[in-house]
Amino acid sequence: MVGTLLSALGGIVLVLGLLLATIGLYGLLRRPDIFHQLHAAGLVTGPATILVLLAAVGTRSAEIITSAVLVILFVLVTAPLSGHAIAQAAFRRADPPEHSEDDDSATR
Amino acid sequence: MPDVFIAVMLGWATLLLLGGGLLLFRSRDGLHRILALDVLVSIVVALLTILSYLRDVSYYVDAALTLALLSFSATLVSARYLLRGSPF
Repeated sequence: MVGTLLSALGGIVLVLGLLLATIGLYGLLRRPDIFHQLHAAGLVTGPATILVLLAAVGTRSAEIITSAVLVILFVLVTAPLSGHAIAQAAFRRADPPEHSEDDDSATR
Repeated sequence: MPDVFIAVMLGWATLLLLGGGLLLFRSRDGLHRILALDVLVSIVVALLTILSYLRDVSYYVDAALTLALLSFSATLVSARYLLRGSPF
């Protein structure tokens, strides 16, 4: 009974994770701007990967679940850091002072 | 989970890998290429995890962990390189 429930839960989480990855990839292919692309890429590198790894409960194997929990912890730490590094490089390259001056003149 | 279901999910993840390759070919810029490679590696991590579910062995997930570590350091260093011309 519990086994069937865990198996169904793992299947649902796996489908959800791959669906999120598909949506994120569609957004990446649609958007030309790097900041919009970063928004969509955060969906693929963070939540989609974590959901696919969470589906390990469906296998009911202790070895796979332990390794998957380790990878989940690692992804939770590194996905925001790599996204932030790319965003910082894009932001510094985009020359921010001009944008703030434009915003000031627009509000006056 | 039944084996047929996991095999179908493996096929889906492989199609996502093709989409990531298309993204890499369409990227105009170094920064876009770094982002596309980051996304591609995270799709490969998902693919290896699903493969470990299918074969019912755990060491494919360890390979996925190593790949994620390599991708993290590569993304960080190449973004720094684009930012200031040197990795550090």
